[in-house]
Amino acid sequence: MVSVVTRIDSPAWAEGNSQPTTGDALVSASIGDASRLLPLLASDSASGEIAGLVFNGLLKYNERLEIVGDLAETWQVTDAGLSLTFILKPNARWHDGIPVTSADVRFTYEKLVDPNVHTPYSSSYELIDSVEVIDQRTIRFRYREPFAPALESWMMGILPKHLLEHEDLNTTASLRHPIGSGPYRFVRWKTGQLIELHANDDYFEHRPYVDRYLFRVIPDQATLFLELLTGSVDLAELSPLQYQRQTDNPYVRQHYQKFRYPSFGFTYLGYNFTDPRFMDGRVRQAFNLAIDKQAIIDGVLFGLGTVSTGPYPKESWAYEPSIAAPARDFEKAKALLAEAGWQDRDKDGRLEKDGQPFAFTLITNQGNEVRRQVAELVQRQLRELGIDVKIRILEWSTFVHEFIDKRRFEVVLLGWSLSRDPDLYDLFHSSKTKEGEYNFVSYANPEVDQLLIEGRRTFDPSRRQEIYRQIHRRLYEDQPYTFLFVPNALPIVHARFRNIQPTPIGIAYNLIDWYVPREEQRYRALMQP
Amino acid sequence: MANLLKNHLARAGAFILAILALIATLAPWLAPYDPLAVNLPEALFPPSSVHWLGTDPLGRDVLSRLIYGTRISLVIGFIAVGVAVVIGSAIGVIAGFFGGWLDSLLMRLVDTMLSFPSIFLLLAIIAIVEPSIYTIMIVIGMTSWMGVARLVRAEVLSLKEREFVLAAKGLGASSSRIILKHLLPNAIGPVWVAATLGVGSAILTESILSYLGLGVQPPTPSWGNILNEGRIALGLAWWLTLIPGVCILVTVLSFNLLGEGLREWMHRPHN
Repeated sequence: MVSVVTRIDSPAWAEGNSQPTTGDALVSASIGDASRLLPLLASDSASGEIAGLVFNGLLKYNERLEIVGDLAETWQVTDAGLSLTFILKPNARWHDGIPVTSADVRFTYEKLVDPNVHTPYSSSYELIDSVEVIDQRTIRFRYREPFAPALESWMMGILPKHLLEHEDLNTTASLRHPIGSGPYRFVRWKTGQLIELHANDDYFEHRPYVDRYLFRVIPDQATLFLELLTGSVDLAELSPLQYQRQTDNPYVRQHYQKFRYPSFGFTYLGYNFTDPRFMDGRVRQAFNLAIDKQAIIDGVLFGLGTVSTGPYPKESWAYEPSIAAPARDFEKAKALLAEAGWQDRDKDGRLEKDGQPFAFTLITNQGNEVRRQVAELVQRQLRELGIDVKIRILEWSTFVHEFIDKRRFEVVLLGWSLSRDPDLYDLFHSSKTKEGEYNFVSYANPEVDQLLIEGRRTFDPSRRQEIYRQIHRRLYEDQPYTFLFVPNALPIVHARFRNIQPTPIGIAYNLIDWYVPREEQRYRALMQP
Repeated sequence: MANLLKNHLARAGAFILAILALIATLAPWLAPYDPLAVNLPEALFPPSSVHWLGTDPLGRDVLSRLIYGTRISLVIGFIAVGVAVVIGSAIGVIAGFFGGWLDSLLMRLVDTMLSFPSIFLLLAIIAIVEPSIYTIMIVIGMTSWMGVARLVRAEVLSLKEREFVLAAKGLGASSSRIILKHLLPNAIGPVWVAATLGVGSAILTESILSYLGLGVQPPTPSWGNILNEGRIALGLAWWLTLIPGVCILVTVLSFNLLGEGLREWMHRPHN
């Protein structure tokens, strides 16, 4: 794999050989507050970020995208993939000092498949037939059938049984006050303002060098950016506009490190398949041909992204390289629509079929400026075809719970971030269309269903690659989504933090190794009680 | 009316509003470009001889968008106030004329409506209904009629004891005739002041809603959403926030000056 991560504007001395020192605080900021801090229930990125620092999975990815142990010291796959045994690290402890044992793992598993727990992650654990606690540190899962994404599924954060055993996970106080085993322990949460974490002195890898991790909520992109420039925020995600046009000056170059790498996900237009207009494949093909993705990338993302042809980005082994990003072909799009019965019969510049004009509402979430601009460009480009698009921008929780979950939309503009394993059962399998599930476009294709199941069952890497490439191709041909682009991740970090390694999985994976040389530390050392 | 225009501030307000009304009416002829025409290579150009007030993040001409935005903002302001005046007058006159339990009921309704912070009430309604120019006009109107209702009721309470109303009653005029012919026309004076001030605040409310992304939906320009779209480029493209901000300020100020002038004029001693 080609390394595609670039590091920009790093001051020359940032890679100095000074010894790591403890102290200081890292202030990260986001426009949205977290909602639920237990890993099983964390479904937004802010909650995921905090839960990821407070909890550990059994396994994790290292910077070369290899699966390595997190809480697990070793693991074994036997019986042709049907049996999975983990041996836990002996020195892993919960933040209250109790050791992490296989009983905790079993407890977590039971909660994952408990129908009363409202977790969106259960489908990866439904194939487990039995679980056996062999001793304090050893646990074995048996699968009913081979399940290739099994290892990745055990990156799910493990919960402390002794604290949550008698709790209802959907409502427990731990959602707002989690106790985990991770490098940082939870201290306080002022809703809508701040989450404070302190370094875990007994962390089994080593104590993180940075004493405190402060997560600030600044609900406005412009304000957040100003706070970054004044130095009250150390870590944030830049918008393409900020990256290209507002941080390209000597001050930022001297005081900050900017990074850029392809994010593992994509932005798309999703069609509601219960709407007969969008059930017609020719209409979706026409949209794909009429929407100029490169213009969107150049104009809205300032070039910081790549055209996407299917669910997998170029960096994924599942990516199908033979599909060329289509050039905008207006005439062909018109012809396809005409074939589907959409023609401008009364010459008013708008397409009609059976006397009905082609008009729909495109919904997207509020707060994301890039998405709003993309929506306006799509509106403009489809208008040229003779289609009237109305844009409706909705506040996030209304958007998700009232419109997406309840299927009250015609076309949606949204993005997915994906895990490294290409399993997309939850997104495209025809069984995943119930309220709250992720196939909210109600896409159903028996061939894709079959491939998704086969992909989950196949362990042989080259065979598996073939299956997922086929899925990529089928989805491109079928266009349940118009795949628009893969955006770049654009994090910026204050220059006083050292040892930040840009890798294909981003910069945060080695957060516990980040440090600030003593003379540059900004926040007072933490007083231990 | 001649007296009203002697008030210098009110005159300035009226003058500015007349210009704005003219701009709104002549928008298609005044705007140098199509306000919706996207031109990505020219995104975020500063003011120049080509684009007098620069361009926005999608390369659209800000001057053209402001000119069309004047239309949207003024129309929303006037219609919202129209809705408020109709609802408020109806409720006020009914409460004042019939009195008794109906009066108590309607005035408690007014109290209840007033006890909600209006911006939260608006946000709650906007979250339920689909935002469009029309719903916004109606929603702003429906959340701002209470002042008018109180004013009209107070007027009606004193009017209905006056001789001409008693005389009409004595001659056997129906309630609806008394209300429409005698009460409303005489109670409407103070409503004009409230309405003039109300237009300014309705324009401000529309800007707030659009600034929060809940008002006029893209790509239609209104002053509030031009301001909102400029916020992401604060410090990089000052013209996107400063100019619509000044437009809102000047317009609201003009309505307030005119309203105050109107109030003074009505309260002057009658000769």
